[in-house]
Amino acid sequence: MAGRNACIVGGGMCKWGVREASYIDMAQEAAKECLDDIPGLKPGYIDGLLFASAFVGRRSVQINTAPVVAERLGLNPTSICARVDVLCASGSTAILLAKGLVESGMSDVVMVVGSEKLYTPERWQVQYDEIAAIDHDWDSPQGIGPPPIWFALTAKEHMKYYGTKREQFGTASIINYDYGFSNPNGHFQRQLTMDDVLNATEIAAPLNLYDCCPLSDGSAAVIIASEERAKELSDRPPVYILGGAQVSLHSVTANWPGEHLGEWPHLRLAAEKAYKRAKIGPEDVDVAQVHDCFSISEVIELEELGFCQKGEGGPFVESGQTKIRGSIPTNTDGGLISCGHPFGATGIRQGIEILKQLQGRANNQVSDAATGLTHNLSGANAEHTVVIYGSEPGK
Amino acid sequence: MAVSGIPFLEGRYSPTFDLWPIETKEFNRIHTFYDNLREGKFTTTKCRQCGRESYPPRVICPECYSDELEWIELPRKGKVEAVVEKLGGVPICFEPPLIDAWIDLGEESPVRHVLSRVINCPPESLKEDDKVQLVVFDVPSHPIEIRQETIMAERVFFAFEPVK
Repeated sequence: MAGRNACIVGGGMCKWGVREASYIDMAQEAAKECLDDIPGLKPGYIDGLLFASAFVGRRSVQINTAPVVAERLGLNPTSICARVDVLCASGSTAILLAKGLVESGMSDVVMVVGSEKLYTPERWQVQYDEIAAIDHDWDSPQGIGPPPIWFALTAKEHMKYYGTKREQFGTASIINYDYGFSNPNGHFQRQLTMDDVLNATEIAAPLNLYDCCPLSDGSAAVIIASEERAKELSDRPPVYILGGAQVSLHSVTANWPGEHLGEWPHLRLAAEKAYKRAKIGPEDVDVAQVHDCFSISEVIELEELGFCQKGEGGPFVESGQTKIRGSIPTNTDGGLISCGHPFGATGIRQGIEILKQLQGRANNQVSDAATGLTHNLSGANAEHTVVIYGSEPGK
Repeated sequence: MAVSGIPFLEGRYSPTFDLWPIETKEFNRIHTFYDNLREGKFTTTKCRQCGRESYPPRVICPECYSDELEWIELPRKGKVEAVVEKLGGVPICFEPPLIDAWIDLGEESPVRHVLSRVINCPPESLKEDDKVQLVVFDVPSHPIEIRQETIMAERVFFAFEPVK
C-alpha cells in the first residue's frame, strides 16, 4: 500500500441550469471558482487533469476533450490528461482515479473538472440522445433511454415488496428542494409542498415531475492532491479520500442482479467494499450525498448503503431522518433533484459539498461532520460508485 | 442549396442517431439473432464447452471464454411482473401509449426477466400477472456500403403483446 494520502483540497462550481454558455465556457467558470477557493494554488502547480463528461462527444461534438479543456484552463499536464465517462458517475469516478494517481506517486496535484452542455439548440436532442446512455442495442429500442419508465417500474416493485407509500418517496423531493432553496448555484431555488409533488405533471406513474431530477447544463471542479501538497496549498483542515468502490454486475436490464427491481445488490456490494477500504461502517457517516435522480432512488439507496434496514427507506425518509438534524443528513446542497444533473459534474458537486461539510463551511451545515459519503448510479441502474471522505487520514 | 458540414440535412444516414441496432452480417457477428427473429424465434447463445446460457447473444462464452457457441430458443411467452404506461411526453420516435413491462419468462428460462415494450395493447388495460407473447416487426432500414455498392439493410425488432 502506498504511503501517501490523497486529499480533496478545494472546489467550485458554476451556476447550473439552462445556461447560455458552452461546456468549455462553464469548465472555465468552475475552474476559476475552484482556484478562488484555494488562494495558494496557481494553474502552473497542477500536474494532472481528469475531465469528466459523458455527453461532450455527442452534444458538443468533441472527442479527446481533455487537451481542449487543459488548454482553455491554462494547464500543461505532465502526469495525466484524460477524459472519464461513466455517465452519471463520471465525476466521482474521476475523483477515485485521481486518488489512485496521487497515492501511487504518479501525480501530485490533479484538477478534476466535469462539464456538460446538454441543452443544445433544440431540446429534443438531449432526450433523444439518451438512447446512447443505456445498453443501446437491447434496451434503447424498448423506450427506456430516458430513464423515468425504468425507475417507475422500480418504484412499483419497491411499493409491492416493501409496502412503500407514494408520499414517502415524495418526501425525499420536498426535503431536497428545501436544502437546495438556499443554494444559489443549483438549477432550482424553490420549496415544495406534498400537494405540489402529488399534483405535478405525471412523468411515468407513480413518478411526477418533482420526483425526477432535471437535465442541466453545468460544471464543477475540485483539486485532489497529496496530503503534503494539500497542506502547502490551503490553511483549511485537510479532507482525506478514505476509500471507494465501483461495482458493475450487468448492463442489459434483463441481467438485473436483484431478486426484484427494488433490491440493488450491486449498490450493497459497492457500499460494503467502500466501507471496508475506509475502515468505517454506515453508522460512522455524518453526512451523505446520494444519487437522487428520482425520489424513489434515494429511498432505496439509503437502505442499500446501510443507513436504515432494507425495505424501511420509505418510513425512514418520511420521519425526517435525512434532514439536517436527522440520523443521516442527505443531499444537503439540494441533490440532483434540486441542483440538477449535468452528468459528468454531479459527482464533483457532491465531493465539493462533502468537502465543505467536513471543513465546517457548508450552506446547510451538519454540526461536527467528520465523515462523508457520496454515491452515484449510472444509466439504467447498471453501475454504482461510492466515495468516502474523512477529516482524519485512514486508519 | 447544399449545406456543407451538416450532411444529414442532405438525406444522409447518421448512425449516432439510430435507435435500432445495426443488424446486418456485414456489421455484427450475432446477426443470427435477427434472422431468427424474422422466423418468430426469440433466441440466444449457449456455450458448447461449459453449457452456460447467456443473454444477450455473444461471440464468446462469458463464463469460460470458449468461442464454441450454439443458438437456443428462449420462451416466447411470459407474465407481466410490473407495468408502466406513458401516455404523454413519450420519447421522440415512440407513439403514445408507450407501455413497458418487466416480464417474467419463467423459472426454466435462462434469462428470468426481460424489459420490453408491450404493443398492440389498448391504454390502461395491461395488468400485473397478465400473459404476454413475443411479437416481431419491421423497423426502418439503413444504407450500408458493400464493396462499391450501397444497399438498404432491412431490419426487424421485437416487443411483446397481450395474449388474446
